[in-house]
Amino acid sequence: MSEVTQILCAVQQGDPRAADQLLPLVYDELRKLAACKMARESPGQTLQPTALVHEAWLRLSGGADRAWDGRAHFFGAAAEAMRRILIENARRKNALRHGAGQKQLDVEELEIAAPAPDEQLLAIDEALNKLAALDKEKAELVKLRYFVGMTIEEAASVLQVSEATAKRWWIYARAWLYAEVHKREAS
Amino acid sequence: MLPPMDDTQRPSKSRSPEPGREEALFEAALALPPEQRAAWLERACGSDAQLRQRVELLLQSNEKAGEFLRPSLGAGLERTELIPTPPKEKPGDVIGPYKIREKLGEGGCGVVYVAEQTEPVRRRVAIKVIKLGMDTRNVIARFEAERQALAMMDHPNIARVLDAGATETGRPYFVMELVRGIKITDYCDQNHLDTKQRLELFVQVCHAVQHAHQKGVIHRDIKPSNILTTLHDGVPVPKVIDFGIAKATEGRLTDLTVYTELRQFIGTPAYMSPEQAEMSGLDIDTRSDIYSLGVLLYELLTGRTPFDGQELIQSGLDQMRRTIREQEPMRPSTRLSTMLDADLTAIAKSHSAESPKLIHFIRGDLDWIVMKALEKDRTRRFESASTLALDVQRFLENEPIEARPPSGLYRFQKLVRRNKTVFAAAAAVAAALVLGLGLSLYLFVQERHALKRAVAAERRQAELREEAEKGLALEKRMREMAPITAKFTAAGQLMSQSQFDKAEDVMKDVPTNIPQSSAIYNVLGEVYGRSGLWPAAVRVFTRSVTCDPTNEFAYHYLAPLLVSTGDLDAYHSLCERALSQFSASTDPAVAEQIAKDCLMLPPPEANLATLAKMADIAVAAGPNDSKWPYYAFAKGLAEYRQGHFAGAVEWLGKVPASEEVPARTAQMYATRAMAEFQSGQTNAARASLAETAKIAETKLTQPGRIDWNDQLIAQFLLKEAKALISDAPASAGK
Repeated sequence: MSEVTQILCAVQQGDPRAADQLLPLVYDELRKLAACKMARESPGQTLQPTALVHEAWLRLSGGADRAWDGRAHFFGAAAEAMRRILIENARRKNALRHGAGQKQLDVEELEIAAPAPDEQLLAIDEALNKLAALDKEKAELVKLRYFVGMTIEEAASVLQVSEATAKRWWIYARAWLYAEVHKREAS
Repeated sequence: MLPPMDDTQRPSKSRSPEPGREEALFEAALALPPEQRAAWLERACGSDAQLRQRVELLLQSNEKAGEFLRPSLGAGLERTELIPTPPKEKPGDVIGPYKIREKLGEGGCGVVYVAEQTEPVRRRVAIKVIKLGMDTRNVIARFEAERQALAMMDHPNIARVLDAGATETGRPYFVMELVRGIKITDYCDQNHLDTKQRLELFVQVCHAVQHAHQKGVIHRDIKPSNILTTLHDGVPVPKVIDFGIAKATEGRLTDLTVYTELRQFIGTPAYMSPEQAEMSGLDIDTRSDIYSLGVLLYELLTGRTPFDGQELIQSGLDQMRRTIREQEPMRPSTRLSTMLDADLTAIAKSHSAESPKLIHFIRGDLDWIVMKALEKDRTRRFESASTLALDVQRFLENEPIEARPPSGLYRFQKLVRRNKTVFAAAAAVAAALVLGLGLSLYLFVQERHALKRAVAAERRQAELREEAEKGLALEKRMREMAPITAKFTAAGQLMSQSQFDKAEDVMKDVPTNIPQSSAIYNVLGEVYGRSGLWPAAVRVFTRSVTCDPTNEFAYHYLAPLLVSTGDLDAYHSLCERALSQFSASTDPAVAEQIAKDCLMLPPPEANLATLAKMADIAVAAGPNDSKWPYYAFAKGLAEYRQGHFAGAVEWLGKVPASEEVPARTAQMYATRAMAEFQSGQTNAARASLAETAKIAETKLTQPGRIDWNDQLIAQFLLKEAKALISDAPASAGK
């Protein structure tokens, strides 16, 4: 049994610490996977977060048909990991643009399709953190949709809510975030 | 390492004390027609102006947020900067002993160049440089592991892999025989090859794959772009490239494994077998290549793969795996007849045929052959590439195919050619022997005919297996002898097609000092013997003994053959050779067989003691040995030849009179009759003789028997017994 499957089992059996252990593993895995892929893809191709996350799932779970329950935790962690990777990239490039030197430009750069230009991405992320403090589930939904590229149906199934609920949440969260991002711009 | 999320992570103080209420109002207002919202909100929020403001802002934001947060994957992507692209090779660059000339092509896992080799020979080769990101050391280690097997491959339809190494920048590369050709499917279409010509090309591909399988190499990535076709002297020749590369660049144990598998997955899912789609990866064998050959055949026939590669990729990984593992593809003829007219016409045109005729040609047998290769359950696929090829050839020659499910008519047809099946089974044994695949006599046992005599077959099976193992071990030494190995393979192939004369022809050029030829001669001799072609059998077994005097198998056949053809001088000198070779053997089976070979006729006095000792070695194995009846008989015969008639009767009494093994039983009765007669038990002798004669009349006259050599010995002993007993006056005794 892989480490991840062990953790997923622990999570399902209600061990709250287990979920925390999942994130670093998934994070590392995604980075590694992205780096490998990038090295092999012909230049000009960009990695799709959805594909990366699915591959990471197959790899870490051994591709076995796990209970959906385990998947939910995994994809939750993957969404968070993917968010960190994208934000990290955006921050680094932002820093570069503002004259922080060329040293940072190394093979660590991951060519993953980001959903928005860097500045906007960072702004959205900041707003998202605020939303997460208020309403964790909706923020989760946004992460799954925005950073991993899941559809409403997929995200609903990960969060184990109905599609109708997910849709309502999505509309509300989107309006909320929009308001938050643009309030900052206005001020 | 996980980067911490800084200050933004800290829960910020909520602007609104009641997010739940905000949300409820937002949703309720949203459900109303826009013009009623303001009035409704005013009522709902009452005096809480801040709340109303918040909800109004959210409603406004919602109006504007149309494109906001839309996961814009694939379109207008903001890309992070590229990693510095790895330095590309350019013409004139030198990799190891190879000088790059020009780029030949670029594939999923690397770039292929034409290169010039100067040392140790001057030639042009193809060099494939794997893209950065693969663990070079592991790739090369895996390649090295398979290198010997790859080196043994020598087939006109396989591009040889010559070398592997690492570039200065650490990227693995493979050096291959340079093949200039185009994808087999493109070749067929561009040249409007008709279906028969396509099938003939396909058969060549199967033979190439079979050859590799015989050498223990699985391709794992058979697809049209790995089968390049060129004209050689006006004849199209397909060459399979990239053997050993999929394996080397894959492997389970590196971090990159799953990634590479997925890469491959995304690269060529249309040709991937269900077990490859499982991605458990541990358990890929030759049958996976058979599946891919099935996909290739499907595509050659219909212009489409069973599942569309693009659709597979778009359906997502899980769905893709499910499709490959579970969904039955349409039969080729059904696929053609459900196509759009325009598509069908185009495909028919590329086959130089008319649509209805093309469908008619493919429907039935070709459908069955393709579907058998594409079985999800690999145990139900063709056993080997050569059985697949054989079925296609049967179809081309208008013979009934094997892949077909048994129908009444079909079974009848099979019954008619039962005799031929026996030969096909023999051919399979031939193949197994030569190839060392260990298939052995399984097919014989399956044959009901042979099943009845399972005892004899089993014994022979053990011998053949030993023989095959010996052949295999010897073959290992043959690494440097590629041209001869090629002859062996060719002969094996011909034998598996029942073309025994041609196989013998091929072997003519093999020098007699190559001991492993004997395995092929033995099979040929077996087949000739079973057809009653004595002179031919004598010819090949003689060659077998010449090539490898240590292969006792040949002696057991050649000895009775020589007696039977009346060449007694040759028989006796063969016995002398057998004794000088094996008299010291401690293996009871060898001792017994050689003793019997030399005792079937009265031996020279000088050899008697040695032969008696060999019979003793045999019986020392004890009655629990499965071959005990044979040992006891050998001992009985030795006793008789030494003039120990009572001992002979006693030992022969221990040999069961089994109807299952008529030849041995007849030998036993005949010898016992003589021993009884010589010890004065005339009546018993006559009874024993009658038993022998009965068996000889009913059981020893069937052609095609696997134990024909033992039958011959039984006949000789019967003749000797008749001469002794019937010719003697009635009163004669000791």
